[in-house]
Amino acid sequence: MRRTPALVLWFVVLLAFTVLTRFASSQQKNSESISVKGGAGDITGQYEIPDPNWPQWAHPYPKPGYIWGSQGGVFAESPNRIYLANRGELKLPDKVPNGFPGNWGFFNQMAATQPIANMVNCIVVVDGNGKLIEAWNQWDKLFEWGRGPHQVYISPYDPERHVWVVDDMRHVIYRFTHDGKTLVQTLGVLDEFGENDDLTRFRRPTMIDWLPDGTFFVADGYGNTRVVKFDKTGKALLKWGSRGTGPGQFNTPHGIAVGGSPPRVFVSDRGNRRIQVFDVNGKFLDEWPGIAPHSMLMSADEHVWAVDSLTDRIVKFDLSGHVEYSFGQFGTRPGYTWAMHQISADSDGNLYLSEVFGGRTQKYRPRPGADPTKLVWGRALMPMAGAGGN
Amino acid sequence: MMLKRIILLLVAATLVVPAASWAQAKPDFSGTWKFAASTPPNYPGSAGWGVPSPTIVVKQSATEITLQSGQYGSQMMTVVYKLDGSDTIWEAPSVTQSGSTAVVKWRTKARWDGNKLILFTWNTALNQLRDILSLSGGSLTIVRGTEQPGPSTNATLTYSKGS
Repeated sequence: MRRTPALVLWFVVLLAFTVLTRFASSQQKNSESISVKGGAGDITGQYEIPDPNWPQWAHPYPKPGYIWGSQGGVFAESPNRIYLANRGELKLPDKVPNGFPGNWGFFNQMAATQPIANMVNCIVVVDGNGKLIEAWNQWDKLFEWGRGPHQVYISPYDPERHVWVVDDMRHVIYRFTHDGKTLVQTLGVLDEFGENDDLTRFRRPTMIDWLPDGTFFVADGYGNTRVVKFDKTGKALLKWGSRGTGPGQFNTPHGIAVGGSPPRVFVSDRGNRRIQVFDVNGKFLDEWPGIAPHSMLMSADEHVWAVDSLTDRIVKFDLSGHVEYSFGQFGTRPGYTWAMHQISADSDGNLYLSEVFGGRTQKYRPRPGADPTKLVWGRALMPMAGAGGN
Repeated sequence: MMLKRIILLLVAATLVVPAASWAQAKPDFSGTWKFAASTPPNYPGSAGWGVPSPTIVVKQSATEITLQSGQYGSQMMTVVYKLDGSDTIWEAPSVTQSGSTAVVKWRTKARWDGNKLILFTWNTALNQLRDILSLSGGSLTIVRGTEQPGPSTNATLTYSKGS
């Protein structure tokens, strides 16, 4: 009888050894497949390993001795017009190691958000090859007292394709003309934060999404704990949410996605590690626990794609909250990610991920033979009035 | 009779108008203020920023208000807010997000909201402070909000007149 506990202990140790050995073996196989087969598998999913030279970090963006800093956002208007929201430039060390690929995360030190950045080249537009098309330097001054643009969008339902830029630290959301020449509207009060019941001011807003009629929803955000609904002119209609962990309460509502029929509002309640689902007037419908997304995207095939801050994985949900697929892994080498902050995709199936800590934006091209159900498809934008619909 | 009424009206006006002007005069926050209490209790500020200063020395003129306090960081600082709504900008050391100390740009601004004075302080190390000052019964109340990349904080601080 006395030998029984010892036998049980021996059995447990043997079982643990077997499991750990197999786990280590599978990890090794995984890394082998990445290095040998060129990016297939769990880390980059159905995509090839991204080209570290996309976008082309050529002079003068950034200037010599500097590198782009934290990448707040990316939005692919089309395969040949991609907006990058850059939180300024960071000074490089005097001696840069050989083989430096151009991203801050390579140094494996502090996150790209930590050094004080020079707020220059904050909004730029590149083509499919990563070549610079436009630099909106005329607006760099807007970001001087903050930490740069948080995210960037175009409403899929706007025929004029205004460009929306969220500035969390200065508590405002900007709406620019498509070419960036004119600042059309500023929501919120610059540099003034308001409390949860204040419909004039935000407190570090984070993300936007739209209904087809132009109504839009703002996650607000880091400081407040609410969603604010606006009509298409920018008039605040209502808000919902309070601080807490119950249904309809938030702790850092950071991401938002709108879609489905009837339409629903999916909110990343990041601090509470869940996604909450509401109707368009803020009635709580459901919660999906176990994920803390920085950002979400409603895809063309009506799925919610979420970039998880806990696991650094890109997760595909159906609109009932079932996980259909996921991939991704933390890291600073090409294809890995460090704090994905905005997810975007174009109509060719290219995926774009901006990284706030890694300090880069990566473009993931579908690999040959990729399963289309495992690719992120960006919502088609309304054709641009008076143009071919770039 | 008519002349008498006019004279009475003029006398009344001379008494009422200054009284109304007095009522609209802005409060003077000048003085040395000692920290008394906070809501929530033991409010710590946020990562060394917005910490209740044990003492605040306030000097106020018609054009500006100056606060000498430790609420902007670990060291006492003298900070000026212009009362015409314009910015004051300067450079001074501050603790950055990486934890190191660097010279950063600072900016302040003030505006009145009735008898309350709202003071805004920002710096390029991403620290933000919004203090709403009011006087009541010999006490100075500061409704404080802080913002940083870390958690936001809110608190109500009460100070009593010191010497």
